[in-house]
Amino acid sequence: MLPFTVLTAVAAPLEIAKIDTGMILPGRYMRRHRRPGHDYSDAFLHDLRFDEQERPRRDFVLNMPAYRDAKILVTDVDFGCGSSREGAAFAVMDFGLRALIGPSFGEIFQVNCIQNGIPAIVLAEPIIQDLQRQLRQRPGSEVTIDLPRQTLIAPDRAAYPFDISPLRKERLIRGMDDIEVTLQLRDTIEGFEARRQVMYSWLPTARRE
Amino acid sequence: MEGRRPRRPQQHLAVTDHYLPTVNRSLGPAAMPNPEIRRVVEMLDENATQFALPHIGWHHRDQGIAHVIAPELGLAQPGMLITCNDSHTATNGACGALAVPIGGGNQLRHVLATQTVWLKKPKRLRISIDGVLPKAVTAKDVILSIIREIGVGGATGYAIEYGGSGISAMSMEARLTICNMSIEAGARIGMIGPDDTTYQYLAGRQNAPKGADWPRALAYWATLPTDAAAVFDRELRFDVRTLAPMVSWGTSPEDCAPVDGCIPDPSRISDSDRRRHIERALDYMTLTPCTPLQQISIDRVFIGSCTNSRIEDLRAAAKVLEGRRTAVPGIVSPGSSAVKRQAEAEGLDRIFRDAGLEWRDSGCSMCNGSNGELVAPGERCASTTNRNFEGRQGRGARTHIMSPAMVAAAAVFGRITDVRALLRD
Repeated sequence: MLPFTVLTAVAAPLEIAKIDTGMILPGRYMRRHRRPGHDYSDAFLHDLRFDEQERPRRDFVLNMPAYRDAKILVTDVDFGCGSSREGAAFAVMDFGLRALIGPSFGEIFQVNCIQNGIPAIVLAEPIIQDLQRQLRQRPGSEVTIDLPRQTLIAPDRAAYPFDISPLRKERLIRGMDDIEVTLQLRDTIEGFEARRQVMYSWLPTARRE
Repeated sequence: MEGRRPRRPQQHLAVTDHYLPTVNRSLGPAAMPNPEIRRVVEMLDENATQFALPHIGWHHRDQGIAHVIAPELGLAQPGMLITCNDSHTATNGACGALAVPIGGGNQLRHVLATQTVWLKKPKRLRISIDGVLPKAVTAKDVILSIIREIGVGGATGYAIEYGGSGISAMSMEARLTICNMSIEAGARIGMIGPDDTTYQYLAGRQNAPKGADWPRALAYWATLPTDAAAVFDRELRFDVRTLAPMVSWGTSPEDCAPVDGCIPDPSRISDSDRRRHIERALDYMTLTPCTPLQQISIDRVFIGSCTNSRIEDLRAAAKVLEGRRTAVPGIVSPGSSAVKRQAEAEGLDRIFRDAGLEWRDSGCSMCNGSNGELVAPGERCASTTNRNFEGRQGRGARTHIMSPAMVAAAAVFGRITDVRALLRD
């Protein structure tokens, strides 16, 4: 997992509310065996980006030349609601995005993004609308996300603090795998398992061990 | 797994559901002509074998949709923490379990490797459902009306506990439908405290406690319901005494209305986000503001999914279809092989077939079409499923979600129909 510290990059405004994970990664791509050179980059928001004849829709924001190198997407409300498919986070990543900023995110999707090194940062709706306005008016403008300082800098240089749990922040900055973190707690896990066998002996999963 | 082994393989169950065809299974792999789909099914077989995970594969007697078979086999029990890499995992919360959806990559790997899951303590939301449901109004209508009220992000960050006299009076199957759609209100967790209905449902099931274990389990379960004085972060009450059957008209589960209502007029919505969403939704759905819902013609129906494919759902649909013919094609996919056997023993399969619907095998099927069973572009489908997002049932497909009885009524007339009129004796 790539560590995330400070990123200054072109940001694109995606002004469509409630884009669910099925729009981020349409179901028919989920069965694709994802590997280098055959990833989800074309699948990301596919049906918004391409028409029925697979031609790029020219009026779609991510197809406009000024936003083509965007590494940050400024989304609308409830981006990533719906199904828990982690592929939606992979698609965000494979498309080349490194961060999302929005007024709200689907909860599972937000966790999936963070697990894959992509912060999904929540800011108040008026701030998001102002950001989107700036990005629309000056296509190709850059936004800075300073994760250690928990600060976002808009194209007009206004700085906005954002919240993130200390645990998630630490993992993003260090690019650390969750499993390693958890296995440091092996004694606690084993202690629980021993108690569980005794206290809840009827559990089918306890009987089987 | 990057070289790691599952920590407690026996505590897992691998279930083949999303990618299985619901027809021609006897053909074996040839039933899956799409090589990508076949590969996904085979990979689960291979992984289950490689990691020694108990596996309900596609020819297993208990095969079905994970969230249908976990309660059915008595695997979901009060007080358990259950995870599954599917957003509708909260279904199992109806059994008094804390059932949490996780992502299918990193998080699933984490559960396999550590037998633990990291959870941020959710805020607590109690939804009290009061009153007796009117005739032909179901759990599906209750949960849709709640989602309509609080929105698809309304319960984000919360764990929901459903309670009240309406829940107490509900069967386990109805409760499973309620908890199933918690995620459509934004909540990863939805649960119902165990009571006599829960215990009676569990008793005797394949994995339920037996013999001397039963009273021990029962004594523990009785300690689980919420204390009378418990404090919640947020409380909502819904009175269902005058509820009507609900139908979705848009592209988000919150876009629904009572069947005797009309398509909303976005020009009269003051909230600009909501207005833009409705305009876009009506454009996708090719619907005109202020049209009565019952004037919407449909092209096909789907009865199935982890929301509404249990035996009571099939009985409710069959009751409407008995002695009638459908005006449009459609498929019925029972939630599990056991539900299928039960339905056949009751003759429900005959009713569906005689009415003109296809009686299929069990799986997730047309709910999201990952097995290739799709609604065609531009087609309008009345569906017992949980999501009506753009492209959910296939690219360009238009979905109207509703209860099984309402889908059956829509099938008979080829348009959205108030099932209450059909069942008036």
